[in-house]
This record gives sequence, C-alpha cells and structure tokens, in this order.
Amino acid sequence: MSITLDQVTKRYQGLPVVNDVSLDIGDGEFFVLLGPSGSGKSTLLRAIAGLAGVDHGRIALHGRDVTHVSAKERGVGLVFQNYALFRHMTVADNIEFALRVRRMKGAERRQRRQELLRLVSLEGMDERLPAQLSGGQQQRVAVARALAHKPEVLLLDEPFGALDAKIREELRRTIRQVQRELGITTVLVTHDQEEAFALADRIGVMNLGRLLELGKPQELYARPATRFVATFLGAANLILARQTRDGIRFGKTAVNASAAGPLQGSRDHEVVAVVRPEEIEIAPTREDLASGYLTRGAVEEIVFTGALERMRIRIEDGQEAAPLSNGNGNGSAFLEVTRTQHEQRAFQISNGQHVAIGVRRIHILPTPLSSFTTCATTESLAEALVQQPLLAELASRMKTRISTRVEPKLGMPGANCEGAPEFSGTTVIAAHSEVVYQAQWLLKMGAEEILVLPQNASPPQRVLIHWADEAVRRATLAVSASILRHVSAEAIYIGILPQQTPAAQRPHGMRALLDARSEAQAVHGLEMRTELRFGDVSHELARQLGELAGQMLILGIRGHADLPERFGSLFAESRWPVLIVHRQHDSPAGQAGQAYQAGQA
Amino acid sequence: MAAGAQSASLDDVSTRPGRDTIVSSIVRWTFISLSLLFLAALLFAPLATVFVMAFEKGWRAYVHSFADPDTAAAIRLTLITALVVVPLNTVFGLAASWAIAKFEFRGKSFLITLIDLPLAISPVISGMVYVLLFGLHGWFGVWLQEHDISVIFALPGIILATMFVTFPYVARELIPLMQQLGNDEEEAAITLGAGGWITFFRVTLPKVRWGLVYGVILCNARAMGEFGAVSVVSGHIRGLTNTMPLHIEILYNEYNFVGAFAVASLLTLLAVATLVVKTLVERTGYRRR
Repeated sequence: MSITLDQVTKRYQGLPVVNDVSLDIGDGEFFVLLGPSGSGKSTLLRAIAGLAGVDHGRIALHGRDVTHVSAKERGVGLVFQNYALFRHMTVADNIEFALRVRRMKGAERRQRRQELLRLVSLEGMDERLPAQLSGGQQQRVAVARALAHKPEVLLLDEPFGALDAKIREELRRTIRQVQRELGITTVLVTHDQEEAFALADRIGVMNLGRLLELGKPQELYARPATRFVATFLGAANLILARQTRDGIRFGKTAVNASAAGPLQGSRDHEVVAVVRPEEIEIAPTREDLASGYLTRGAVEEIVFTGALERMRIRIEDGQEAAPLSNGNGNGSAFLEVTRTQHEQRAFQISNGQHVAIGVRRIHILPTPLSSFTTCATTESLAEALVQQPLLAELASRMKTRISTRVEPKLGMPGANCEGAPEFSGTTVIAAHSEVVYQAQWLLKMGAEEILVLPQNASPPQRVLIHWADEAVRRATLAVSASILRHVSAEAIYIGILPQQTPAAQRPHGMRALLDARSEAQAVHGLEMRTELRFGDVSHELARQLGELAGQMLILGIRGHADLPERFGSLFAESRWPVLIVHRQHDSPAGQAGQAYQAGQA
Repeated sequence: MAAGAQSASLDDVSTRPGRDTIVSSIVRWTFISLSLLFLAALLFAPLATVFVMAFEKGWRAYVHSFADPDTAAAIRLTLITALVVVPLNTVFGLAASWAIAKFEFRGKSFLITLIDLPLAISPVISGMVYVLLFGLHGWFGVWLQEHDISVIFALPGIILATMFVTFPYVARELIPLMQQLGNDEEEAAITLGAGGWITFFRVTLPKVRWGLVYGVILCNARAMGEFGAVSVVSGHIRGLTNTMPLHIEILYNEYNFVGAFAVASLLTLLAVATLVVKTLVERTGYRRR
C-alpha cells in the first residue's frame, strides 16, 4: 500500500472536519477524493502532505508511519489550486528548487529540468517568469516542480479549479499521461464529478468530513449505497417505493425494471429507489413503453444541452409515485429526465405534453431510513414537529420527505390506530414525560424506528449507540451508519455490563465491544469509538447523555413489553433526542450487509 | 508577453470610469485642477520658500552654514539614529507581520492595535513616556544613575524615542501584503523539502521585498524627521544631542535664517530623495508583481 490512513480525525474548534477516515491507496493508483466544498477533502490531502496535523489516527506512506513526520521530510509532491509558483523565480528556478535544496549538482539539475519540461510539454520555457505564462502553463510548471524530487506520492488539490473548460481537459489528459508514464501513486481532490470520472481508478466520496463510499467510478455510479453519493455523482431521482415479496412497487404499480438489487429480507417495507435520468423512458402511451411503466406525467420544462435533452416532468398521479427528490433538494413531485438525440427523434415532445413514464433500471439504496412521519394526537401538534430543527435538517440532508399522521388514541392502552395499519419509515414523536408509553404503543402497532424529539433539538455533535439485545445489533448499526452519514458527529458505541459482573465474564463484554466495532467498520464503513461501562444500563446512558449538550442516543431494542420499566427514566427528562430501533425478530443474517456490500464493491 | 497579461491590462482600461462623455471630462478636469491648486498652495509654496530662504544670501553662505561644527554634529547624530533605528524596526516589522499574517493566536488583534499605537498618540507623549521611565525621577532613574548609564538627554534616549515613533511603518506595510499573498508558496517550498530558513530567505523575503523596501523608506524618512518625541528626551545640548530638526529650530530662534533653512533644505532634499526612490520602487515593484 502506498498511502494508508487509519482513523484519521482532524478537528477545527472542536468540530471534526475530517471524521475517522480510514483508507488504503495502492501503488500506482490514481485516487480521486470527491466531495462538495467543506467536506474535508482538502484538509485530508493537507494531512497526507503533512501541512496539517491530525488530532487522532495514523498516516503511513509506503508502510512508513509519517504521522509525526514534518512536511519537509515526507517528500511528497503537492500541486496547489492556485499553482503557488514562486513568482520571483523563472520556470527553471521553480522546477529546480527541490533539487537545489537537496544540493544536487548543476549539470544533473539541468538535465532533470529538461526531462520534466518535456514531460509536461513546456520545452523552451525555462527563462519565463510565472506571470508571463497562461494559467494552464503555470499549472504544468507546478506539476513539473512537484515531481522534480521524484516523490513517491503526488497530491493534487483542485488543480484545474481556476482554468477554463478547454484547457482543463487538455491538462487533465497531460496529468493522466504523466501519471501513467511514471506509475506514481496520485491523490487528486476535486468537487467536479466529471473530472473524477475521467481521471480516477478509484473514487472516494466525502461529505461532512466522512468518507462515505469508495469504488470504481462505474460501480459507484451504478450502485451507490447512500443518498448523498447517488445524488452527488450525476443526477438522480430518489423515489420512495415499497419492497414486497413480488418486487418493487411504486404506489399501486409494480415495476418490473431490471437490476432491482438484492432483497433485504422478505419483509414488506419502504425503500429508497434511485432512478437515473437517463434510465427513464418516455412514450405517448403506456402501451408504447418498452420498459416497466411507472406513472404518467406532464412535461414542465425542456432544456437543450447539446448531446442531451434535459427535462422536468411533473408527476400527474401523485398517489402512484411521489419522488422524494431529484438531487436538487426540492422535494417536489418532479422527475428529471435526459434523452439522447436518437430518442428525441423517435418521439418529439413539447412543453405541457402528457406522457407515459417508464423506468429501465432502478437501484435500491441499502439504507434502513427512508422517510419520516411525524405522529401526534392532533394535526397542529404533528405540524409543529415537522418544523423542529433537527428533523428538518435530517430530512433535507437525506433529501427525503416528512409526512404527518394524526393518531388521536396515540399511547392509549388497548386502543388501536385509526389509519392504515403499517407505519413506514421513521415515526417521529415529541418528547414529554409520558412519551415512553406512546413509543411502546407505536412499537405495538408495528413501527420499527421511532425518533423521540425534544423541543428545539439541533443536529447532534455526538451520537451514542447502544443495543439492549445482541439480536438487534445489525439493525441498530445499519440505522446508526445511515444517521451518521448525514450529520457531522462522532459515533460512540457504549457497551454496558451489570455492576456485579464477575471478573471472568468481563473479557466477554470486551469481545462484544470489539465485534461491534469491526462489524460497523466492515459492513457499514462506519468508524466509531467504543466505551465499556459497568452499572445499570438506563442510568449509565442517562449519565453519559447528561454530561454534554448536543448528544443523541440510538437505542436498539427487541420486544417492547418492558420498555417503560427498563428505559423509562431515559425518556422522562426529554432533553436529548432518542432514536429507537426495534426489531421483533432480527432480519435474516447477513442480508442487509450483503446489499450494502453489493452497492459498495 | 502572454495573452493573459494583455487581456488583463485591457480589462483594467475598460473598467476605468469617466470615459467618452463631455460631462465626465469636465468633471475630470475640474477635479484634477482643484487638487493641483490645493497642492500648489499648501505644499509646493512652503517647500519652495525653504530653498529661497536658504539661498537668500547666496551660494557661499549656504555652504558656509554647514561648516558649523554644531550643524555637522546634528547631521551625524541624525544619521546614526536612523542607522540604528531603521534596521531594528525592519527586523521587528518582519517578525510582527509574519506572526500576524501566518498564525492565529490569542491577543492577535491586541498586538495589531499596539503596533498602531505610536501613530495614534502625540509624539510629545511618546517622548514623555521615556522621560518618566528613565529620567532622573523616573522608575529606573536611580538605578541608571547608580550604574552610570545615561538614557535621557543622551543618544540612547533619542534612539528609543525615535524607535517608538517609527515602530509601525514596516509592519503596517507588510501585514496586509503578507495576508494578501497567503501561505501557499511557503507551503509549496516546505513540501519540496526546504527548511524554515531557506523558505524565509528564498521564498518569503523575495515575495514581500518591494513592500519591505517601501516600509523601510517610510520608516527612514520619519526617523530622520522626527521632532516632537526627540525634542522631549534630547535636552537640546548643542553639538551633542541635537538632531537636525532640533538644530533647525535652535538656529531659527537665533535668527540665523540662512543656517536654519540650509539645514532644512538638506532635510527636505532627503525627503524628496526618499520620495523619488519610493516612486521608483513602486513602479518596479508593480511591474514585477
């Protein structure tokens, strides 16, 4: 391995900007770190170069631990976004700088400089000053300068950011060529997915300081595991669907689109489907569709972009399929569609036209959290919950919708729910002293995830994870991973053993802790810290939660009969958000994990 | 020249305001003539007077006035003061601006305010402070006397007061420049294997050199011309602690107008020369940047 990052964390004013990133980059690999601005990707690159220290974790280059080695001694080549050429030196002096510092002889230096200038096709520019070069040429000089001392690793920080499209493409080709020719391990940071696709052997997508997914460009595009990657890599329509024994259903229609992905157990439940704009087919009537019928719609907007035609189609029968989002964050009932010239010729469309919509291929995200439903005894209370900052923030980051549901008999023992029996997605209720009975009631009605939300809770900085039963470990971890991809918080698993645990039993507790951690890492790519406590579960959790503001608890339980007795005190204070993950029976072993792996591989 | 540089200068020209219309050219000429008139009345006339008065009794009298040993001593003292003060303040200015531009630390804005302090308070106060500290009745007065060190009414006092007054010039010039130029070049040098000293001398110093030269020139001009603060600490001992500005005042009070204005003309020439160098530096610096 050329570059090994192990649980690298970098905090800025207490907030993690790089959050537990572990990564292996192979020899000669071209690795692209992709993410929006502020995702921590540049900080991570600077940490590899040694320009930024890390607060936690280790960095190794070619097996040598360099965590505490200065930038000067690391000997990596770094190319900056704004070139950072020495403006008072000629091109020749710039390139020879690293060689001069290493006291190389004049003749050798000149020879190496000529080699490098040839490599970046800038022969004869030796005596120019940087100000006399165009942006593209300056960046070529910067690349040559970074390679002068034959570094083992080349790092590029948004190297094409300041260049126009044409030169960008040309330089992109040069860099790919140079990289192949030298076989040098390269890490490039960018926010441009097209650039990432064009250059990368492997892409790592970062958001909120976390490395969300890794993979070959094609695989990440075809089978993203998270909402963020699905919408950040290209455009995507995220649609809420139901997974049933017969396949994927959007509302009442069953879709027989290909590659629906592996089933997560046999249970009928709500899922998030990714439909790429180019996988949508449009035809005048349902009968003309070559692919599975989805819904009908009216064309709202057509944009000609050259090779492709992009349009927005408003879904007409909202009952059948309501898209969550089209990647732009607005949860409207629009579908983004792109068509090739060929498709355009086959079926001419004008604004306002009514069409039948089909899907050729859908991909189901292996995330356990699909949508949120606030539940209260009156409409106004349910509406008020929608406005809560934590919930609004979570929903917008997950690009999902929040619906409301009124249950007048919420929490009444012996009473059944009024509406449709199933509770899909995560049910949200307001915290108050008696909330534990409402939660118990909802669990009895079949809700699987319940978020208990105190007044004005904000997105947490720390998420505590605990499960009361090993059988719900898998489900709790899956939900935790999903939550943690959308908030920039640290994850801490808390294992609690009874106070009187005999010494002989303690190693067993430790082992459970380590198992939990390695499962989180291997299956969900989630890095978390672990802590072992002794004492009463509810008491210990409350103590930990009370220590610091801005914490949230994810609690996995099995069976709801003893919820008030065991965890009542946790809810009584209603100061922190609690997400209850409840499974009556654990889903068949490995299913959820496999689905995730398929998306990630 | 690359196309980039050309288009940059075209952009520069095309965004300048006030082209083409008659009204705008009238406005332009009004403003230019107004400011020229103002300068002529307030700056050029007094400057011219200095030279007219200096040469009132002819060339010989002018030259003769420099032969006076007290005048020669005043010139020497001024040069010595500048020679000590300017390098010290250059080093201080570099260190302070480096610290402020490159690091985040507690009390950073306090430090910036402190650097500006000498600009804000009256030079007389600056002088008084040193008298209060090192004068015979000052805090360290007795101790200094016991060890036979004279600060006030001697060269050290003059240097201290001048340093205090000229403190901000180099730092003020470098802080915004360093902040604007950023850290990238230094970081690049470090990743290329350069140590701290090499990075400073080969990268940082050349990068800010024109700003530095400019700051040093301003600092020097003020060091030679300072009157108020030096006046308080010097004690006006002829031939010993009189700097040029102080000496001019004494000559003037003695109705030795030729002598006073001759020294004044020398000081003025120094100032003019400083300004010429400054302009040259600005031009070269601008072109190079």
